[in-house]
Amino acid sequence: MKPSDVVPALLMLVLSAAIALDTRSLGFWADTTPGPAFLPVWLAVAGVVLAVLRLVESRRFRAAGIEWPDRPAALRVAMILGGLVAVPLASPLLGLVPALALFVAFLLLAVLRQRLWPSLATLAITVGVVYGIFVAWLGVPLPKGVLGI
Amino acid sequence: MEALQLLGQGFATCFTPLNLSFIVIGVLIGQIIGALPGIGPSAGMALLLPLTYGVPPATAIMMLAGIMYGGMYGGTLTSVLVNVPGEAASVMTAVDGHQMARKGRAGAALSIAAIGSFLAGVAAVTAVVFITPPLAAFALKFNAPEYFLLALLGITACASLGTNSPTKALMAALLGLMIAMVGVDPIEGTQRLIFGQPALLEGIDFLPVAIGIFGIAEVLSSLERSQHAAPMRTRLRDMWLTTQEWAQSRVAIVRGGLVGFLVGVMPGAGPTIASMLAYVTEKRFSPQPERFGHGAIDGVAAAESANNAAAHGACVPMLALGIPGSASTAVLLAALILHGIRPGPGLMTEQSTLVWGLIASMFIGNLVLLILNLPLAPLFTALLRVPYAHLAPGILAISLVGAYASTLGFANVWISLAFGVVGWFMIKLDFPRAPLVLALVLAPLLESSLRQSLLLSFGSLKIFVERPLAAALLVCVVASLAFPLVSTLRRAWALRDVG
Repeated sequence: MKPSDVVPALLMLVLSAAIALDTRSLGFWADTTPGPAFLPVWLAVAGVVLAVLRLVESRRFRAAGIEWPDRPAALRVAMILGGLVAVPLASPLLGLVPALALFVAFLLLAVLRQRLWPSLATLAITVGVVYGIFVAWLGVPLPKGVLGI
Repeated sequence: MEALQLLGQGFATCFTPLNLSFIVIGVLIGQIIGALPGIGPSAGMALLLPLTYGVPPATAIMMLAGIMYGGMYGGTLTSVLVNVPGEAASVMTAVDGHQMARKGRAGAALSIAAIGSFLAGVAAVTAVVFITPPLAAFALKFNAPEYFLLALLGITACASLGTNSPTKALMAALLGLMIAMVGVDPIEGTQRLIFGQPALLEGIDFLPVAIGIFGIAEVLSSLERSQHAAPMRTRLRDMWLTTQEWAQSRVAIVRGGLVGFLVGVMPGAGPTIASMLAYVTEKRFSPQPERFGHGAIDGVAAAESANNAAAHGACVPMLALGIPGSASTAVLLAALILHGIRPGPGLMTEQSTLVWGLIASMFIGNLVLLILNLPLAPLFTALLRVPYAHLAPGILAISLVGAYASTLGFANVWISLAFGVVGWFMIKLDFPRAPLVLALVLAPLLESSLRQSLLLSFGSLKIFVERPLAAALLVCVVASLAFPLVSTLRRAWALRDVG
């Protein structure tokens, strides 16, 4: 069995166990009425059954190989995720739109290695579209940073 | 006749400057999203859902539906000209469409795809006009047990049909149901599965999950490799069909449209399965099946007619029963809920203006798409020359701002990011994402109707077999679970025999 077959099944088992544990204190059945734990507990049971089925299935059938990203591609995904995580972290300080602008610049220039001028054009269009739609049209109060933008 | 009168009122609803412009915007965005590999109609609808907060619900739903079926048209461009399906439902189009392009008949492939999609789309919407009202009226007889089983069927059928591993699909659906349990119990108001996090008290919204699972995950997956394939060129004058090509295609359009509509109406099956089934059917009926795979125009016609008919057919269970038949209609249903509209059989009468406006908008939208795809196809081809690297940042930026705008807080942004990672792993591990989203949408109906049923029957499960309608639905649920089980066992026996 490959880790790619085993890990999802194990995660489902962990999730099912967490649900069963968390709903211990809740009512499963009261007189003739199902309680708040009724469906979650059944879902946990189904989770265990499916996880076992998946393990059995992966033992019997050889699955097609999974196309994991190579090292540069994995690094690229990690950098994009890092940039995405930085946006909500930096927004209270910089403001959401400036944080997004920095993210777009980082993505185009540092991660995807695009040329400067087309990247700057893309940056301007992206910021313009976000600002135009969400702020100017829909009136969404996006968080502003120390610079007031 | 009443349906036609109501349809007339629907057209009156559509013919306002605001609604007409949103229909055109919707189909245009759908066309573009469909054409761009790496983001499908469901993702596009989820990403653009926050943009509809400022408009009336009917306008919003018309636009989102436009993205749904517009995506079916747009996917053809990339399939034919680049040999990369713009979205999953165009996979079969790429098989023969690209071969036609290599033989210098790209224009004809695009033409027949647009004509087939238009004819099958209009026929499917006409069927929606006449099938949906009686089905909704019939569904008014449904009570809690039928609703529970219908919601369950929506999930099990989606998980069973068209996936390589039904176990994986059922696991995805189960994950969706588990996510939906987080928050407050809908009947007693007790806190449940919040794991000490007050931010989870309000539950996990559909929107950030859909943005993450579809939008962010698809962009991450597409950006793994920096590839850009240049599309083949096509000219307007190449788009004329020869008499022979039209003769080969017209029956394929009828057959494909019929197969597509029937598959679309079934809960769980969607445009992708419809196009595959229509392609296989056409090959079987063809007097020269050996042409398929080498540029058969009837293969393109059947697949494209089927995927558009299926996209419209999926609206029947969504509008009549409140049960989405596909990932796209799940997003559409979620949009209704977000706009404060309760889906279900009462929708046809309680929100008549919205429903008939939506149906009428599909006729208009298909006409707009025909215009966009026939004379303007070469223009859209130019769009394919924009490198994906320059589109992805915009998609990610809109994803984050959309998630923020839904609650004006960063909690949903974090949820979107988390589900972006979950979705990326699901893509890598070949877990289907549609069952998760479908289950998340159907979970509230599933739980409340299950508990109401057991309350009505004083805890007895007999309520699910004593009522004829419920019993029939139960048989369908069992069949939808047994079908993949039997096929898995047959596969195991076949392997044992070989081994």
